[in-house]
Amino acid sequence: MSQLQARFFTEDKRYVVDNVPFSIPAASQVQDLSNVINKLLEAKNASHSNLEFDFLVRGQFLRTSLSTHMETENISTEEVVEIEYVERITAPEPEECMMHDDWISSVHANDEWILTGSYDKTARIWSVEGKAVMTVAGHADAVKDVSWGKRDGLSSVLLTASLDQTVLLWEWNSEKNKVKARHCCRGHTGSVDTVSVDPTGTKFCSGSWDKMLKIWSAVPTDEADEEEEEEAADRPRKKQKTQQLGLTRTPLMTFSGHNEAVSSVLWSDNEEVCSASWDHTIRLWDAETGSMKSTLVPPRSSSIHFFYSSLHLFLSDGSLVLLSLTSHTGWVTAVKWAPSHEHQLVSGSLDHLVKLWDTRSCKAPLYDLAAHEDKVFCLDWTETGLMLSGGADNKLYTYKYSACQTDEGA
Amino acid sequence: MKKIGLKRAKEEEDEQKKQSVCEQVLTFNMSPAEEEEGDEDVSDSEESVYSGLEESGSDSEDEPSANQQEGRVLNEEVEQLEERVLNEEEAEQREDEYEKDSSDEEDIRNTVGNVPMDWYKDFPHIGYDLEGRRIYKPIRNKDELDQFLDKMENPEFWRTVCDQQTGSDVVLSEDQLELIKRLQRGQFGDVSFNEYQPSVEFFSREVMIHPVTNRPSDKRSFIPSLTEKDKVSKMVHAIKMGWIKPRRVEDDSRGRYYDLWTNEDSSSILNKHRMHLPAPKLRLPGHEESYNPPPEYLLTEEERALWEQQDPSDRKLPFVPTKFSSLRHVPAFSRFIHERFERCLDLYLCPRQRKLRVNVNPEDLIPKLPKPRDLLPFPTTQSLVYRGHSGLVRSISVSPSGQWLASGSDDGSVRFWEVCSARCVRTVQTGGAVKSVAWNPNPAFCLLAVALDSVVLILAPSLADGHVTSSSERLLKSQQEAEPSEGVSCNWVETKGEELNQWIRLKIGHPKVVHQVTWHSKGDYLASVMPDHSSHLQVLIHQLSRRRSQNPFSRNKGLVQNVSFHPLRPYFFVATQRSVRVYNLLKQQLTKKLQANAKWVSSMAVHPTGDHVICGSYDCRLSWFDLDLSTKPYRMLRHHKKAVRGVAYHRGYPLFASASDDGSVIVCHGTVYSDLLQNPLIVPVKVLRGHVITQDLGVLDVTFHPSQPWLFSSGADGTVRLYT
Repeated sequence: MSQLQARFFTEDKRYVVDNVPFSIPAASQVQDLSNVINKLLEAKNASHSNLEFDFLVRGQFLRTSLSTHMETENISTEEVVEIEYVERITAPEPEECMMHDDWISSVHANDEWILTGSYDKTARIWSVEGKAVMTVAGHADAVKDVSWGKRDGLSSVLLTASLDQTVLLWEWNSEKNKVKARHCCRGHTGSVDTVSVDPTGTKFCSGSWDKMLKIWSAVPTDEADEEEEEEAADRPRKKQKTQQLGLTRTPLMTFSGHNEAVSSVLWSDNEEVCSASWDHTIRLWDAETGSMKSTLVPPRSSSIHFFYSSLHLFLSDGSLVLLSLTSHTGWVTAVKWAPSHEHQLVSGSLDHLVKLWDTRSCKAPLYDLAAHEDKVFCLDWTETGLMLSGGADNKLYTYKYSACQTDEGA
Repeated sequence: MKKIGLKRAKEEEDEQKKQSVCEQVLTFNMSPAEEEEGDEDVSDSEESVYSGLEESGSDSEDEPSANQQEGRVLNEEVEQLEERVLNEEEAEQREDEYEKDSSDEEDIRNTVGNVPMDWYKDFPHIGYDLEGRRIYKPIRNKDELDQFLDKMENPEFWRTVCDQQTGSDVVLSEDQLELIKRLQRGQFGDVSFNEYQPSVEFFSREVMIHPVTNRPSDKRSFIPSLTEKDKVSKMVHAIKMGWIKPRRVEDDSRGRYYDLWTNEDSSSILNKHRMHLPAPKLRLPGHEESYNPPPEYLLTEEERALWEQQDPSDRKLPFVPTKFSSLRHVPAFSRFIHERFERCLDLYLCPRQRKLRVNVNPEDLIPKLPKPRDLLPFPTTQSLVYRGHSGLVRSISVSPSGQWLASGSDDGSVRFWEVCSARCVRTVQTGGAVKSVAWNPNPAFCLLAVALDSVVLILAPSLADGHVTSSSERLLKSQQEAEPSEGVSCNWVETKGEELNQWIRLKIGHPKVVHQVTWHSKGDYLASVMPDHSSHLQVLIHQLSRRRSQNPFSRNKGLVQNVSFHPLRPYFFVATQRSVRVYNLLKQQLTKKLQANAKWVSSMAVHPTGDHVICGSYDCRLSWFDLDLSTKPYRMLRHHKKAVRGVAYHRGYPLFASASDDGSVIVCHGTVYSDLLQNPLIVPVKVLRGHVITQDLGVLDVTFHPSQPWLFSSGADGTVRLYT
């Protein structure tokens, strides 16, 4: 068996070839197939320049020779094989390196600005180009998570969660470059490890070491709630004296159900909150009623402690673990789906590596990004194709990522 | 078919029988006629063939006559002489012999014939001669004396015999004497007779040209005999009717002989003898024992040096082969007594009996242990390294919430780490090598006890919620009791200023160097250990809320290594060098004394149920005690290569771990069943390595995360490691 019948097709209009079966050698590798496609395209269009392609057989990337791949995937060699091809994703290119004073605990980016939280008790705002814009100081302890809130013209809301058991809601005017603490969200009795703003930008959810999830309003108001003031009066006088940034805010809702610290929260849609915890479960909550909808228990054997922050992986999977990507040698501290590509995600780990994955080839990552010299703690991915990663080496790396072309073409 | 075959076989047999019987009949018919010639021949051969079927009674009657015939030929000559000559004994025999014999020759001297001469006893005569005259007995008036005199005097007496027939004495001639002698020797009477004359083989296997007899066969030998036929048919009929049974074949299966020892008891003496082992034999002397050994047996210089260095038990030869020019020069054997003694020892100590080896599959001897994979979760890989200390980290402790880790090091600092990120959040410089740290196990307080030099520090690192912080504040602020109780000299000092910024809140001064601190599970009591050989003041129990210290023991029971509170009940465990004592704090008495079977106990941990204790010792052992079972260790684990420094139980999972100077931490799975009848199941599941051995010290302390199956270990390389 040396020849196979294969039909090539693509979603990309630029590289369409004739829809006829070809006879190709069974032992051909990706490079051979890529050459075939290039030849075909050249025959069609003289101005075609050589491109690298990747090939998908029944939704799985081809990584070995065609015959062995089909053998392992149990695909019959008698029939005509449908092979999809896409332009190969180029490696992300490192762009900027932003130095911090201390470990970077969190990063969140929107189209223009990057917000980072650090263990030096501050959050920082950077431009996408890597210019330091603002330092937001106010917390009494290390900042554990940051998040952009609603953006309204020049002013935007940002949230910082800290080890000092509070979440601060800030308002930042980008033109004047002034930041003002608007609300101090008190209520947690443990360090607040994670914070997430809902898609509408009106509410946010925070998860804490005290095993609770709390929903807060993310809209800054000028009037301080009276009841909050009363409650604030109960607090030790010392605290109010030392630091009373903004108006105290109390949670709208509290979800309790986790047996251990909550490590990560995320809104899956407007009404639903997902939370991951140290008790090895992922829970789905209804944000309206405050009831728990379901609990996912990932299999223990595969759980290389991804509960720390790997919530994103499971979001689209429903109640079943569809894939487990095992390549990291340390804890996976952060994962993020690509905003522009349905199959791609990045993961960061304590083994100093950031890995780029495609769910269609789950055996091995697409790329390993070994820029960091210490533990990676946080990751983000912007719509404009910028990947960000920060870690214990005090550096925030940005990578230019150009995987969006295929989607544009589609 | 088979039946037919059988029938045919039977018929054949019958026919054969008939034939043979016929032949027999023929020979019988023949025999009277040819008695002289063929008798012997026929009877011999025929008999051998037919003896199986026919009784050979008819033959046996013939035999004596045949023998007689032979004998007659041989004895013909002797007969006469013997009749006259042989003495009375022989005569009697002869009478028997010639009982039925009637001789033709008649004695002409006396015509009475062959009658017993006793008949003439009372007569004066003894018989009649040919003319019919009486033959008178010779006058016999010799009495015994005469006879004796005759015997003495008459030289012919010994050869004089009395003739029975005539009654006269006859002096035997020389010839007659010679004849008698020959006969007595069993020789022929005739001197000239050659016993060994060449014989002519008439009846040999060779067929001669001329037959021995030339008589034609009788007619009757060709005609079947009617009487025989009648006889045979009767017999055949009898066989058919089953009246005559064929001779039964001797059945040997039951056996006249049987194995006497088939049902022998295996434990009998005989069996023991069979298992006898002979005494070991001495090796035969070889060339090296010779007084003049071949040169290759003589030791070279190096070999000799090596021989002298070696331990006597390691030597290949117990002596040095030496060469002498002649046997005369060989001195007395100096090791004789020694060698004899060793031989005696060999004989004395050699096995005398072969042990019956039990055939057991070695696999069966290994206890059935569950696979480690089934015992998940337990720590398997190193996940985080907490770096920052510059000296060896002697002690670590995890906060009850599991968020913080405290470590005390020889560099004089206590560090607080965030568990999940390995971030050092606080560093407290204490100014002395920290021996032990212990986090208050009560989650309502956030306090850490630190032992260094002769002080115990209470730290409040304010790493918890405000409520917790304030409650611990309240505990620390509580008033001191007025009187220093029981003469224990402990000074409680509240710190001020600079030290307060370092979160050090209290200092409890001790009279001696403190090695260990531990909390009661309620978080109010604190025990500290000051090992001292000579004093009874080795353990102090402090009550934080009343700022009171007391010495629970009034007597020195050995060097205290480690103490621990029972997690649930008012018991107190004290590990001394060799044993662990369990005291009841309420009754203030010794409840139990556990024998550790170790030379020097290094560490101790109490199971969260309080019913089990593990002890690590400096002689590489880990002993598990079941308090309900025995004071001896339920299980000894010798997995470590070097001294065990620290042991720990997990609070929730059935796990325990031991840290050793060989740089490894061994995690074991120890299920404790609530069923009291079931013993704990201990399975070693994982060896964790990672610490670098520095100054011969490996891992110094080990502790588990309170809720996760994670393990922390601190080592002499200045790091704390987390295994998950």
